[in-house]
Amino acid sequence: MVKTASVTGKPIQIKVFPQRLLQPETAEKVLNEIDQVKGVIRMLLGGKNLPRKVTCGPGTGADVNHPDRQIINVGDQAFELHIIVGEIIVEVEDESALENLKNACERALPFPFEFKRGHFIKRKPTLTDYGKYGFKSKYDESINLEDERLLGLMDPHAKAENSLCVISEDNGCLSGRAEETNSK
Amino acid sequence: MAYKPQYYPGNTSVAKNRRKHMSDDVEKLRDISDEDLTALLGHRAPGADYPSTHPPLSELTEPDCPVREAVAPTPGAAAGDRVRYAQFSDSMYNAPSVPYWRSYHAAINFRGVDPGTLSGRQVNEMRERDMEEYTKRQAETEMTDWGLAGLRGCTVHGHSLRLQEDGVMFDMLDRRRLEGGVIVMDKDQVGVPIDRKVNLGKPMSEAEAAKRTTFYRVDNVAFRSDKEVIEHVQKVWELRTKYGFVPKA
Repeated sequence: MVKTASVTGKPIQIKVFPQRLLQPETAEKVLNEIDQVKGVIRMLLGGKNLPRKVTCGPGTGADVNHPDRQIINVGDQAFELHIIVGEIIVEVEDESALENLKNACERALPFPFEFKRGHFIKRKPTLTDYGKYGFKSKYDESINLEDERLLGLMDPHAKAENSLCVISEDNGCLSGRAEETNSK
Repeated sequence: MAYKPQYYPGNTSVAKNRRKHMSDDVEKLRDISDEDLTALLGHRAPGADYPSTHPPLSELTEPDCPVREAVAPTPGAAAGDRVRYAQFSDSMYNAPSVPYWRSYHAAINFRGVDPGTLSGRQVNEMRERDMEEYTKRQAETEMTDWGLAGLRGCTVHGHSLRLQEDGVMFDMLDRRRLEGGVIVMDKDQVGVPIDRKVNLGKPMSEAEAAKRTTFYRVDNVAFRSDKEVIEHVQKVWELRTKYGFVPKA
């Protein structure tokens, strides 16, 4: 018999949407607070891109040196912020983590924020993922990926080393970064 | 009695500010030197001559034309300056100018302008020295709060974003930032570093920005709270819809 399904369990996803775009210090603080919450599986940071160089116009190629493009420490890992953090999507194991998650955000954020529950990160592989990773074997059609929590944390063409960070091996929390580059 | 133009209806603070912008009755809040402004615009080196695209009009033999006789050329056109641009982005969080009002201000109060208006930014093309005069007027007066607006020739993103924690509109290229309570700018409008830090003064407080803004917002002055404006807008829409059918009678 061919095995097709690979995802079990129904974790809860929350979007934390602060009233202001976060400076690196505040982002570091809130991420560390969230990391301390028991039951957090993964986080996805969203925000506006902080490019290394000017990418269009007569100044193309000039260095930007944005002061918010800093290295921050979350848990036992350090990583460079490529974005100004505008939202944090958090996946937790069950309902019991929600109250603690909200308290953690309240402790770290000095201004109001939205705390929305919904479906924000993909929970099962899509055609694009199968195109990238393939099946496990001829008889096992689940996706050929060791850790399925990676799904939805980065763009299909992004490199994992630039966009993904394993914060803690103990509780296995993962963090990804989504960059928006709208130019309105 | 001399004719006084009536630019915009309404009795709210936003409507009054819109009238002020259109009539150029705006308060000067800061000084920016000509050299600094030239450096920020980035079209020529500060202190350098204006490059020209044609000889001065006085040296040209112009065709016999009643319009040319009736209309005096602007200083930039008379000197044969190049056409250059300045572009501002304005935050929707109570920035003083709506992009449309920058266009109205330019088109009503200056000559030889080619304004382009978009949802979050406004670009204006003029002869170089005319453009500098116009930009200086907008940059030094209450039409611009440098915390909530920016001179951005490209990568203009910021108008519709939440503000940063320090209350400043996001700038992807970090052309200007809050330093020691004042806004400083050390890159030109396209993100190329310049040889100076231009002090653009203190940003407005939230209350001050809310008082001086020309944006209608439900959390400040709601558009629907101004009956006269609604009446005016509805009348304009009604007339242009009717005109769309080209009524003969």
